[in-house]
Amino acid sequence: MAELQISTHAPGRAAQVRAGFVAMMPLWLGAAPFGVIYAVSALAAGLSPAQTVAMSLLVFAGASQFTAVGMFAAAAAPVTIVVTTLIVNARHLLLAASLSPYLRRSGLWARLGLAAQLTDESYAIGVREFLGGRGSAAYQFGANISMYFVWQCSTLAGVLLGRVLPDPAAYGLDLVFPLTFIGLLVPLLRKRDSQVVAGVAAALTLLGALWLPGSWYILLAGVVASAVGALLRRRGEA
Amino acid sequence: MMIWLTILGMAVVTLLVREIPLLTMRGELPIWLGRWLGYVPVAVFTALALRPIAVSAGDAPHLMAGAPLLAGLVGGLVAWRTGNTLATIAAGMAAYWAIRMLS
Repeated sequence: MAELQISTHAPGRAAQVRAGFVAMMPLWLGAAPFGVIYAVSALAAGLSPAQTVAMSLLVFAGASQFTAVGMFAAAAAPVTIVVTTLIVNARHLLLAASLSPYLRRSGLWARLGLAAQLTDESYAIGVREFLGGRGSAAYQFGANISMYFVWQCSTLAGVLLGRVLPDPAAYGLDLVFPLTFIGLLVPLLRKRDSQVVAGVAAALTLLGALWLPGSWYILLAGVVASAVGALLRRRGEA
Repeated sequence: MMIWLTILGMAVVTLLVREIPLLTMRGELPIWLGRWLGYVPVAVFTALALRPIAVSAGDAPHLMAGAPLLAGLVGGLVAWRTGNTLATIAAGMAAYWAIRMLS
């Protein structure tokens, strides 16, 4: 990552990578069980151990991997699996676009490298620091590889153990992710404009989750609610 | 072989949606776009936080007001008071398990 260019007033680059890595660790609790389950269900769907691991290594997007496994199990056509993956992962367009203003000073390869490992969770951890003025490409990189690390380890664990484990949802471990996003969101709601954006996003999320398939609600809420915030701010200044 | 090609196709389209914004959005952003993108985290965090606790998973999604939503409210309260993500997770999980044990 020699291309990483970060501001020099912050702690050293290695320390920032480490900080980002560590900040992601609470989310391992939520991610690891699902990495194991992904692997177990992929094997059950007929993928080889190598294919199961390769999908985690190359695609690295949990929701789409689960979806694809379900489609492999249903013997879906390869083209429909790829198109569905595109649809499920389309929200990454928004996440990457949202990060891009903060990464303008980073080199091309650093930006591409960061984007290649972007997930909902590491985006959230990284952008929180950017919003607070403490973020850096190095911190985002640390958060990214932390998630990558736990996803690969848990996939491998699922392949090696290969036995059906208790459903993590039975222990509420799937709640770690929404609680994390609540922990990141709520402190941002002290400002009136953010409250409005969150309110609009909440309404769109519920409507979108009820009426739209898959993860479209994230794109819908992410694009429209933020546009409302930008429009309100412009009107406030006019 | 078909499975390998499918995985490769999945990898390519996923890489594309991750990279396109960073490849195309070079230089200074227009002010309106910067403002717009500035509100994206709040909007996305809201969506990712609310969906799993307020809407059931599965084929026929419906609103649900159960232990996950209550745990989320407890977490939200702790987040408001402390601003600490770890404390939010801990309080929310504790609330969830407490509700599950009591009910």
